[in-house]
Amino acid sequence: MAAAAAQTNGSAIYGDWPGRYFHVDQVLDRPGPRTDPSFLAGDGVKKFLREECKILVIGAGGLGCEILSNLALLGFKDIHVIDMDTIDISNLNRQFLFRPKDVGQPKATVAAEFVMKRVPGVKVTPYFGKIQDKDDDYYMQFNLVICGLDSVEARRWMNATLVNLVDPENPESLKPLIDGGTEGFKGQARVILPTVSSCYECSLDMLNKPTAFPICTIANTPRLPEHCIEWASVLEWPRVWKDKKMDTDDPEHIGWLYNVAAARAKEFKIEGVTWSLTQGVVKNIIPAIASTNAIIAASCCNEAFKIATSSAAYLNNYFMLIGTDGVYSYTFEHERRPECPVCGGESVELSISRDWTVDRLIEMLVEKQDIQIKKPSLSTPTKQIYFQAPPQLEEATRPNLEKRVSELVPNGGEVTVTASSLPFSLSLRITFI
Amino acid sequence: MSESQTINEATTNIQTGQPDAKTRRYDRQLRLWAATGQNALESSRILVLSASATSTSILKNLVLPGIGHFTILDASNVTPQDAGNNFFLDGPDSIGKNRAEEAVRLLGELNDGVGGTAVKESVGEVLAKQPDWVKRFTLVIAHNLENNLLEKLSTLLWEDEAGPPLVVVKSAGFLAEFFIQFRDHSVIESHSDSAPSLRITNPFPSLLSLATSLDFSKMDPTDHSHVPYVLILVHALENWKKIHGGSPPKTYAEKQEFKKTILAMKVKQDEENFDEAEAQAYRCWSETKIPSDISSLFSLPAPSPSSNPNTFQFYTLLSALKTFTSIQPPYALPLSATLPDMHTSTDTYVHLQKLYKARAEEEKAVFKELLKKEGGGENVDEEAVDNFLKNCHALKVLKGKKWGAFDTDREALATALQTYPKEASTHLALSALSALPTDVSPAEESLRATAQNIVGQDVELPDEFDNAVGEIARSPSADLPTTSAFLGGLVAQEAIKMITKQYVPVNGYCVVDLVETWTGVIA
Repeated sequence: MAAAAAQTNGSAIYGDWPGRYFHVDQVLDRPGPRTDPSFLAGDGVKKFLREECKILVIGAGGLGCEILSNLALLGFKDIHVIDMDTIDISNLNRQFLFRPKDVGQPKATVAAEFVMKRVPGVKVTPYFGKIQDKDDDYYMQFNLVICGLDSVEARRWMNATLVNLVDPENPESLKPLIDGGTEGFKGQARVILPTVSSCYECSLDMLNKPTAFPICTIANTPRLPEHCIEWASVLEWPRVWKDKKMDTDDPEHIGWLYNVAAARAKEFKIEGVTWSLTQGVVKNIIPAIASTNAIIAASCCNEAFKIATSSAAYLNNYFMLIGTDGVYSYTFEHERRPECPVCGGESVELSISRDWTVDRLIEMLVEKQDIQIKKPSLSTPTKQIYFQAPPQLEEATRPNLEKRVSELVPNGGEVTVTASSLPFSLSLRITFI
Repeated sequence: MSESQTINEATTNIQTGQPDAKTRRYDRQLRLWAATGQNALESSRILVLSASATSTSILKNLVLPGIGHFTILDASNVTPQDAGNNFFLDGPDSIGKNRAEEAVRLLGELNDGVGGTAVKESVGEVLAKQPDWVKRFTLVIAHNLENNLLEKLSTLLWEDEAGPPLVVVKSAGFLAEFFIQFRDHSVIESHSDSAPSLRITNPFPSLLSLATSLDFSKMDPTDHSHVPYVLILVHALENWKKIHGGSPPKTYAEKQEFKKTILAMKVKQDEENFDEAEAQAYRCWSETKIPSDISSLFSLPAPSPSSNPNTFQFYTLLSALKTFTSIQPPYALPLSATLPDMHTSTDTYVHLQKLYKARAEEEKAVFKELLKKEGGGENVDEEAVDNFLKNCHALKVLKGKKWGAFDTDREALATALQTYPKEASTHLALSALSALPTDVSPAEESLRATAQNIVGQDVELPDEFDNAVGEIARSPSADLPTTSAFLGGLVAQEAIKMITKQYVPVNGYCVVDLVETWTGVIA
């Protein structure tokens, strides 16, 4: 088909051939019974999709590979992708744009090249780096953003950035965010219209609590192989290697941890320490398979397609899938949280004991399901309570950690919480009981 | 190990612990189905009828985790339409070439460990000339296959009791469904969340004597805060029964009182072991000897001798289990050797673990004796017995139906249209679509008339049917990239569950609506 191949850069719309969009055009040429009357079937919507719409994909991993190939086949032509990772052998069971020869290469670049080679006329622009490297102007250029991430922190950052981007005077500033996530046979996809519908931060309390083992169990009464592994990584590593940073991707480091954990398990007659378990515990590995990623990525891209074309209503606003026992899914509207620190505006009401120290309050902010702020800095409208950085300020405010909150904040007073990893601040109204 | 060693020196002799390249590649899935599941996948041979976008999407998700081999049966050549919606065709370069060959080549690139074969024949030819060929596979998957061929194929596979399951997949635009045809599917490793009994209500002798010998008043504070909740509960329950005529707490008030007596045993407020015991107190009244889900399996009819050996072995084990629960006191399921984590000292935990293991071994020996008396029981290997006993509290047996049986059962259809109007309407609209000729796009009216014929003229179609049929009339032959990717994931996931016999596959029609983004299961 030399003729068709030669068209790649020369035809009317980036190398399209007659019949190419036979399938997609069926839903773009006419409305369905549930299609909104504002849908303009035909050439206009196709032109927007194929020539004008600019879409950003965050993550080129398990979900990202699927998202990129789906978007390309749907007819999106200007796709950008950001990923800071390189390809590892354990990605190959699902990240299907990568081959063994690609191990060590940047995911964003390899994925972009593969999709452009396979689907002619699609432009995929990769960025090998962090989402935090980019500024508001960069994010402003897109019509839609899809997140296929495995990190809660990155999602929170992206969500808050897009909420902050909204300017009520400028409708273009509202960028729909479609977020997908998977874990084993389970996953979810959701549509977030920043400032309009429930945002990622609104649903923070839906996250599973990570398994945490109490230090006293690890140190004194280990019972499970996991306790021995935690002992090796949390207590023994810093004791033996001092400031040397543990690299959980380095097989030598995992090997050392495995050996130390196995020796401790033997001493305490505990069975079950293996290399695989050691790696799983220290890297907090989440099982991941191609099929679940395919379902969730398809759902995300389907929503992106519906939003971009209005060919059908988009998801309002949360789709949850559990595939362990049959196929169970639940589609529902997640409600906004008025006290959401990102999109809510109202302060979080917090009742604490008069005896609580600042340190105790910080501990609570780290752990509380709907807050989860690592390394928070605290201040009142008039004074600094505790700051994690810079070092001089940390040192100057450190004595406050031991003080009672009630000495520093009046009853009903406001405390602002910030963290360097999150582009927003949380407002607390504190009452004492 | 001396602290002056470098990491290198300290680890050179333990590199053997590191997994090989294959284990590393499959690490993220081995954590779900382990080596046993992986072996089952690697021995499987999958047949897929047609190399449509949906078919290749399904196969992609089976080739990546490492099935043994796949065959695509497709006589047609790649059209410009195919080249536009299928990621496993090489765009315009594939146009005019055989669709199966192109797809096998590109799917094969995903995993060197998987073999692929393209068969350039039509389903009709194969079913006419050598129908038994399709029975050689572990699983057969058909996407948007014509009704008359589907009828032939499903009957062929249904009538052979040892024949492979058939997955029937249909899609049009934003709507889709799939159905797995199988006779009997038994699952030992269901990966259920339900936990095995700890025998708190029926303690075995060594557990009972340990628990009742405890003298809480004479313990030092550390020991007191380290008594594991299992022992606290057995101890407290025995005391309770003594003063309540041998009965455990029954009423709500009694249960609350029992919980209070546990908390009253604390000598210090922060004794977590007693908090744990209170939280686990429900075991004293809800731990049944045999969960009803399991006892209901005991009345299942024995499979016919012609069913596959796997099914046969499962029923042999099940029969021995039934006998075990009727002759071995306390007439409960065999004890599980695994003990959950609980707040206690290492020594106590390890000791308790040993008691459970020892008892579990004794009961296993009894079970194995009973198994020997079952026909074929002497052939079951040790590993299979261990696996069965470890999971016997959460066994699952699914009884399947023949594909299409639902559409001939008018009563069931009518009920489904009332109870699950969205799901049943979508299913019915898809059935109507495949009942009509495929060469012309059907009008909404003829789809509606066909549906009415299927369900019966006297049944009123619900409003939801308008949505489904309108959507199908809009895009009757559209294999949308996202619908095919969504189905590709769902069908592959169920195929993996069928092949590995782990987790629980869906039984019935799984219906998908990607306008409103929901899935549902009927029949």
